[in-house]
Amino acid sequence: MADVFYLAMRFQWIVLACVLSLACLAQQRGRGGRRVRFDAAEAREGRDIYNRSCTMCHGLDGAAGDRAPALGAQRRYLRATTEELLDAIKNGIKGTNMPASPAMAEGDIRKVTAFIHSLRATAVDLDVPGDAAAGQALFQGKAGCAKCHMVNGQGGILGPDLSNLGAERSLAAIRESLTIAKPTPPRGFQPVTVTTVAGKRIEGLMKNQHNTSFQILGLDEKLYLLTAGEVREMSYGKTSLMPTGVEKRMNEAEFQNLLAYLSRLARSRR
Amino acid sequence: MRTILFALAGASLFGQVQYGDLLRPKPENWVHYSGQYHSQRHSGLRQITASNVKRLTPQWIYHVDSARRLESVPIVVDGVMYFTNPNEVYALDARTGREIWRYERQPALQKGPNRGAAVYGNRVYIGTPDAHLVALDARNGSLLWETKIAEASEGYWSPAAPMVIKDKVIMGIAPSDHGLNGFLDAYDANTGERLWRWHAIPRPGEPHNDTWAGDSWKTGGGGTWLTGSYDPELNLLYWGTGNPAPDFDGDVRKGDNLYTECIVALDADTGKMKWFFQTTPWDVHDWDAVEIPILVDTPYQGKMRKLLVQGNRNGFYYVLDRVTGEFLLGTPFIKELNWASGLTAKGRPIRVEGVIPSLKGTKTCPATSGATNWMSPAYNPDTKWFYIVAQEGCGINTKSRDTFRPGGNSFMGTGYVESPEEPWQMYIRALDVTTGKLQWEYKQINSRRYAAGLLSTAGGLIFGGDDQGFLTALDARTGKALWSFNTGQQISAQPITYSAGGKQYVAIANGSNIVAFALFE
Repeated sequence: MADVFYLAMRFQWIVLACVLSLACLAQQRGRGGRRVRFDAAEAREGRDIYNRSCTMCHGLDGAAGDRAPALGAQRRYLRATTEELLDAIKNGIKGTNMPASPAMAEGDIRKVTAFIHSLRATAVDLDVPGDAAAGQALFQGKAGCAKCHMVNGQGGILGPDLSNLGAERSLAAIRESLTIAKPTPPRGFQPVTVTTVAGKRIEGLMKNQHNTSFQILGLDEKLYLLTAGEVREMSYGKTSLMPTGVEKRMNEAEFQNLLAYLSRLARSRR
Repeated sequence: MRTILFALAGASLFGQVQYGDLLRPKPENWVHYSGQYHSQRHSGLRQITASNVKRLTPQWIYHVDSARRLESVPIVVDGVMYFTNPNEVYALDARTGREIWRYERQPALQKGPNRGAAVYGNRVYIGTPDAHLVALDARNGSLLWETKIAEASEGYWSPAAPMVIKDKVIMGIAPSDHGLNGFLDAYDANTGERLWRWHAIPRPGEPHNDTWAGDSWKTGGGGTWLTGSYDPELNLLYWGTGNPAPDFDGDVRKGDNLYTECIVALDADTGKMKWFFQTTPWDVHDWDAVEIPILVDTPYQGKMRKLLVQGNRNGFYYVLDRVTGEFLLGTPFIKELNWASGLTAKGRPIRVEGVIPSLKGTKTCPATSGATNWMSPAYNPDTKWFYIVAQEGCGINTKSRDTFRPGGNSFMGTGYVESPEEPWQMYIRALDVTTGKLQWEYKQINSRRYAAGLLSTAGGLIFGGDDQGFLTALDARTGKALWSFNTGQQISAQPITYSAGGKQYVAIANGSNIVAFALFE
């Protein structure tokens, strides 16, 4: 009984953690739920100031350092609004090692604040440099992205729909998904090969599963709905169908164009 | 051997829905809101029969977290069920109730209910609370396009299930009660571009604008909030229109108030009206005529006729010639009816003087909730009977002067309360389709208002349900209850049947769940 309770408690936290991280992924928001606005040019300047002034403790480019946490990690921030960040930099945070910076110019503090916002922002807010139109041509053409990914009703259905990618993900997350393999395929996208009792072989992605039944989207873009009794053999692919090392299969400018395109994907507001 | 057969069925491919599949649906599928274009809600499936229905047991339950009172009708195509809640679509494995994908519209305006989806090609179509028509990829729920139907900020919204005809999506609009004028639209099924719009309220210079006193046509109402029917041979759409506004105060809109409270026949290619029949001219009781019109081809007084029949919220059962719109017959299907003494030879009600809303209140039967409402009727071609959910009860209807305020404010001119003299009571009734004569009735004891719609099957059964949560199977010939199951939540939706993996299912939304039943093995 105690175990059940423990599990339930644990599950609650997992759900809460997921909800929080999703909220962080979806949009960088201040306390009031409003989207935080910042100046992209100031953020670029702020990055240099930060790297000069703050990396005694924090890591380079906002990463975790030896003595202070990462500033752009996907977590719930205690200090989210511009005012809170300005205050933390200027006056320090009492009870922590975060010192006050009385000598730093107001303008510089504002720029560092913009940089921190940019770390936490979704890609669409960043004005990512590059030729987005050329990136789109790449996406739909030789990079092969559109074979699996749909954008605004055009493209394949095996991968996630990317129509709102830039508004949901940070630039870092988009870059990561193109360059670094995920340790496990995301839920709903695990490759699977099934041989049915009737001898039919199905290759696809496991959309949903249970001990009793399996819902598979075939690589042929058709749905296959099977009960456990209809399956003779099943094996799971360990890696996602999403290719990694995308940056190695094109030149630097092309990759930047692709990032510029992907980061601008956001559904127009109704 | 059995396993192998099931395996073959289980590995069924998700096929594209072609127009032919919509014209002549396979009995294992349920591809339209009302089953087929003729809206008979009669299925050819006969695995479940009067003799074995006692073995009907729940197979799965799918819970919709965000739902309170679902009114959606599931669509089933080759083992995949598409099911809606406002702003949401769920694709389920129809054999197991397991979710394949879900779509959630953001940002979502909260307004309900949603009555269901339509399918065509690889697309699923829904209307939304913010009055958009949305097309999704049926295989993974990706948003393909969305089209604004009307201004949500004015108060419009789109609860009705769309209907696909050829390459068009036909879509109605709500509400009537806010003084917003209704229409029926056709959209290009591929692009979402609007192809035509039929206006339910004629504008100045158009025929019948003179059925509205002064400028009252501007806030006339006439919503199209349920799904209609279609005759492919005649290429005519049949749709019911809603009430005039303000609902209860007719003094400010003297005249017949066309085309509110009408059944209209529209050319499906152009949206041009071929004929109309008004059930309640100058309605002052909010008796929307949107109830599902059923299309039946049967001998009528010795001659084969293409009929349209409707059980109307005003208490009358109507039989029309659907080629011409000619009124053939109208007869009450409820006993408590005090507002009209009958119908003229043309089908116009003969009003009983004084049965109109008043400052003190006027006893009105049926009540405004209606002799029937959104609960779908059914027709069984074997018995040739029309099956309807009927409410016996009266209201006390009051009126006052209301002011139209744009922005989705109600414009009712007051309303009604339940009459204390007669308790409200729900029935399922079987009527002879050509005479309207009562064949049997099943009293839903302790059920007072609204209910599930009806489903007829070739197994000789009528499925119905009630606000107490019971799904019940009746013998289509006798009305005798053969099976009943307490689903635990109020039922306000319409049952459907389909077959997957060789097994016939009966499914219905109840409260916040969808439940599927099949024979116990």
